Amino acid sequence: MSSNSTSSRSRLSLGRLLRLPETGSFIGFVVVYIFFAILGGAVFVGAPGWSSWLNIAAEVGIIALPVGLLMIAGEFDISVGSIVPASSMTVAMLSGHYDLPAAIGILGGLSVGVLIGFVNGLLVTRTTIPSLIVTIGVMFAVMGLTLGFAVLLKGSTSVSYVPHPTAKYLLGQFINYMFNVTILWWLGFAALFFYILHISPLGNWIFALGGDRESARNAGIPTSKVTIGLFMASGFCAAFVGVAQVMTYQQAQVAGGQAFIFNSIMCVVIGGVLLTGGAGSIIGILLGTMTFAVVNQGVFFASLDPNAGSIIVGALLLVAVLSNDSFRKLAISAAAKKS
Amino acid sequence: MKFGKFLMTTAALAFSATTAFAGADIFVIGGKPDDPFWSRVKMGAEDAGKVAEAQGGSVTWLGPQNYDNLGPDAAELIRQAIDQGADAIVGPDWVPEAMDPAFEAVVAAGIPLVIYNAGGIEAADRLGAMNYVGAVDYKSGHAAGVYLAKAGNKNGACVNTLPGAANIEAFCNGFNDGLVAGGGTGSTLQLPATSFGDSTAVAQAVRAHVLQNPEIDAMFAIGDQDTNAAISGIQQAGKAGSVAVCGMNFNDSILANIKAGTQACAIDQQGYQQGFFAVSILNNHVMYGTTIPTREILTGPGVVDASNVDLVIAGVEAGAR
Repeated sequence: MSSNSTSSRSRLSLGRLLRLPETGSFIGFVVVYIFFAILGGAVFVGAPGWSSWLNIAAEVGIIALPVGLLMIAGEFDISVGSIVPASSMTVAMLSGHYDLPAAIGILGGLSVGVLIGFVNGLLVTRTTIPSLIVTIGVMFAVMGLTLGFAVLLKGSTSVSYVPHPTAKYLLGQFINYMFNVTILWWLGFAALFFYILHISPLGNWIFALGGDRESARNAGIPTSKVTIGLFMASGFCAAFVGVAQVMTYQQAQVAGGQAFIFNSIMCVVIGGVLLTGGAGSIIGILLGTMTFAVVNQGVFFASLDPNAGSIIVGALLLVAVLSNDSFRKLAISAAAKKS
Repeated sequence: MKFGKFLMTTAALAFSATTAFAGADIFVIGGKPDDPFWSRVKMGAEDAGKVAEAQGGSVTWLGPQNYDNLGPDAAELIRQAIDQGADAIVGPDWVPEAMDPAFEAVVAAGIPLVIYNAGGIEAADRLGAMNYVGAVDYKSGHAAGVYLAKAGNKNGACVNTLPGAANIEAFCNGFNDGLVAGGGTGSTLQLPATSFGDSTAVAQAVRAHVLQNPEIDAMFAIGDQDTNAAISGIQQAGKAGSVAVCGMNFNDSILANIKAGTQACAIDQQGYQQGFFAVSILNNHVMYGTTIPTREILTGPGVVDASNVDLVIAGVEAGAR
């Protein structure tokens, strides 16, 4: 069945061929959803269930999109885990502790993320240290700075903030008391990144970077600029989630956010992005994120032990990588037959 | 440098020489003075110390620079207090393995000792201290359970975001037992450890749990951030008003929620009283030989709800809460 549809698509172009893992991600999502729909019952299939996993998907999804792009370009970003609390702390500190307007707080929070992303990008492009190590280092540095500044300025590791109604409306409200407004932002980001990766010429550059950095540079692609830009994008998106969290929960804490590191990588890999770079798609990342979120929330509706959720996510990750590989092989052999 | 140090030592010597026989010099070992919780404990100790000062005594706060090496650092502070000629010592038994030998040295030197904040009455008995002043985790949870059961909530769940931590389990066991004591039932919602500190994960888990278990009408959260997340989850489930929430500790936004009625109560271990009563007991004992026969002076749990929230807000402004 699936090999049929894949071979008919592969006739179109090589670009399509590379994006075939989407099929695997889609099947994975459907299987996982049906599994939890049976266990979770009517509530899970209804609006409360959908909004529950979509709320989770939106936050991790906003971070998974640029992390996925980076991975396609052959880079990792671990520092997102400390950018989330750093940005939410900045917002709460500026607008909560110092009573500045919400716009300044939000701007401050987002700038922190962009700045950290810029530092990541610089370190990765100017040195030979692998991005995994660079961003781990930056993550710890940012974590320490966040804690240090919080204790220095507020004398406390958590800051509360009652947001301005407009800010709350835009970033922290629940539509129909259920759907977090971040879901809409997530879709917006997805559209933007879809344009960048699949329509604009920048997309081909990103794929080329992950395929072969040396050849990409020789072909005239400004590799350093693209890499720094991608790190700034992931810093911005992680900071955006941090800002949205303050608006939603009216509080920022120096710890927290660590879960986003592995969760975002998980979403991206389940979505069929090649860990070594050069292949992947936005639709795949979206499907991977949705699958991850369904499992994450499904366990609570299915009344399973929450630790079972972690086991399922772990197993899913392995199955996803295996099946993506076989789909890719299938696709490549199909293409070889044609030529 | 050296001259300055010399001056300071002579000044300190002169100071202790003039005060040693006049009143009680009480040394209090505690947390960092800039730690928000400990700054309240310190204020309580210093307020009680005003009596000691009026009698010619003093209260000296000894806190570590940081918490990286807590047990040995605190043990060192206890020995410093002995060396500086303390008439009485107050200290928390944070890390018994590291600190008990130092506390034993205090008792061996014949200096009256009160254990506070951590260790419980067991530590006081073991070490030969006069008393224990502090809160008990189990009773904090218990107070929330009893409070909610009294308010008519009969089925509660404790949100445990740190499964395996002994003090959190004590909160949850206490909460569930408190509900049972009030004629209800309790359960624990165990979250995977990865959700700790992630408000969205906590909120969505709480929401799924109350949707799947519509009989639940009360919840207990183990910290202020989790409390805010639990309230959001309940609102998203469309159950605001029908599921009452209590939580450990409080901050500005939680006090605002209690005032607005979206949160039923907050449980406070009332650090101010820990410093205040520990110092008072020792000062009166050293000066007049009085004792407090009540063993285990509980300074918490204190319940903050709509009836006293305004007083608590005033207390926050004064720095005592």
